Amino acid sequence: MESRILKPILAVYVALFLLFLYGPFIVLGILSFQQGPEGGPQFPIIEWSVFWYKHILGLAPPSRVSPLPIGISLFRSVTLAGMTMVTSTVLGVMSAQAFRRNFRGKTAAFYLIVLGMIVPGILVGLGSALVATTTGIERHWWSTAFATHVVYTLPFAFLVMLAIFNRFDASVEEASWSLGVSPITTFRKVTFPLIFPGVLSAMLFAFTLSYDEFARTLFSSGREQTLPLAIYATFTVEIHPNVFAFGVLTTLFSFALLTVYAILMSLSIRRAKRAAIQEAIE
Amino acid sequence: MTPSQAAVEKVTNEPSQNGSASTYVLIAPAVVWMTLFLVVPMAMIIYVSFWTQTTFKIEPTLTLDSWQTFFASDTYINSLWTTVRIWLIVLVTTFIIGYPTALFVGLFVKNKTLQTALLVLCVIPFWTSFLIRVLAWRPMLGKEGAINIILQKAGIIHQPIEALLFTDLSVVIGMTQIYVVFMVGPIAFMLGRIDPNIIEAARDLGADFWRILRKIILPLSLPGVVVGAIFVSVMVLGEFATSAALSGRKVNLLGNIIVTEVGSLKWALASVVGVILTVIMGLVIAGLLRVVDLKKEL
Repeated sequence: MESRILKPILAVYVALFLLFLYGPFIVLGILSFQQGPEGGPQFPIIEWSVFWYKHILGLAPPSRVSPLPIGISLFRSVTLAGMTMVTSTVLGVMSAQAFRRNFRGKTAAFYLIVLGMIVPGILVGLGSALVATTTGIERHWWSTAFATHVVYTLPFAFLVMLAIFNRFDASVEEASWSLGVSPITTFRKVTFPLIFPGVLSAMLFAFTLSYDEFARTLFSSGREQTLPLAIYATFTVEIHPNVFAFGVLTTLFSFALLTVYAILMSLSIRRAKRAAIQEAIE
Repeated sequence: MTPSQAAVEKVTNEPSQNGSASTYVLIAPAVVWMTLFLVVPMAMIIYVSFWTQTTFKIEPTLTLDSWQTFFASDTYINSLWTTVRIWLIVLVTTFIIGYPTALFVGLFVKNKTLQTALLVLCVIPFWTSFLIRVLAWRPMLGKEGAINIILQKAGIIHQPIEALLFTDLSVVIGMTQIYVVFMVGPIAFMLGRIDPNIIEAARDLGADFWRILRKIILPLSLPGVVVGAIFVSVMVLGEFATSAALSGRKVNLLGNIIVTEVGSLKWALASVVGVILTVIMGLVIAGLLRVVDLKKEL
């Protein structure tokens, strides 16, 4: 049968495909250990060194390569991502909760929210910059850029929560109501713990999307650069291996974030299991 | 009234009266947010595209000047065609490169754990900054880049290929690598839902693999292809960073024009380009949705 020949061929193909996905990053990782400050962003490696990592952290002696404005822009990006995460998760949970009932304009509301992830960032950015300049509102990363970031991340949070509520067993809520517990307490004590894994995923989505977002930020954030804008600024000038070292560091940061998420997730699942077992015993 | 009676009444009341009011309270913030920060800005782009542009300012006197400027200029028309060309090429390359991967992951790998592991491997690169991933192609493709070095060491070429970086090709390679996963995901999802019995039946009836691929696998995976194509189209059409980083300013997409015009405070012209981009995108999505009825298929 052909599949006996085809399967290994496809397996080799997928290996090559993964190489295509990872290749540039491997090269970037290697070149981040280029000798500095003379070594350029290309092969051969003159001498292995961690100069560019020191450069990033501000530990290298001053040289002709100006340091990336990491510290302050990282602070802005993380703050912005945090604000976006909280806002879009809260709005996402609220909207998804509303979608459990029928109401007039439900379809329109659905498309309106989902539109936020479809419209390209450059258009959203341009539009909000236009609104800001014509109305005289000053553009900042924490105001106008924040608004456009939530436009982007809210649909993801909303869709995640919608999927969670689809598989949600409403009878536990009804049981709680029928015992005289108020809807708000029911949400806090019954609904929320059950949907918590979904909330975590929504938060993770919102944080990473906002943290990496730059097309929306470019026009809407004013003068103060966020991290992606600081990287984008290096596009126009000569690049140095410090950008590569920075790429390696941000990737490690992302993995750290992912690990925290995985730990929180497994903890919440374990807690849910333990609660279920306890209930069964009682 | 005892507490339990009150509670029962509350429950029965919930969906009818309180329910609808509280539903609107719950949905209102999101709707208001999206209207203020998405719909109004988009409307503003259309409106401002008809404003009068002076050197550094725009005035709300309606005119077609900016539209005329756009269609009278070779630079802008060229960037329109470049955008369409790059979009079509990337759509084809992501499909051709992505489909076999999706085929393997969705159809040939029976082990669920391995399937998930492969998909996770595809997604991991997204945990690196998008801009860093674009930039990573520079040391790959350059004249002294990794690809040229490897090809020369292997004796395949003797002169470094200079056409790899700062050309159309580098932009296509960069975009394909970044967006191909959005094609792989939906296709693999649809392939995973194909009932193996259908393929088995076709094989028993004597169909060879190519015939099965053409007559069964491809048609059944079409919704996945369309969803993937929508993802890729929306992202490629709105692109400007990849071309800025990898083309050495030689490839100017509509997105790059917008960035340049905003940089020189030509808001009205930037808005014209924005409207044109929106129209193209609307046409592309509408066209793709006509290929299959997604609501029925998914």
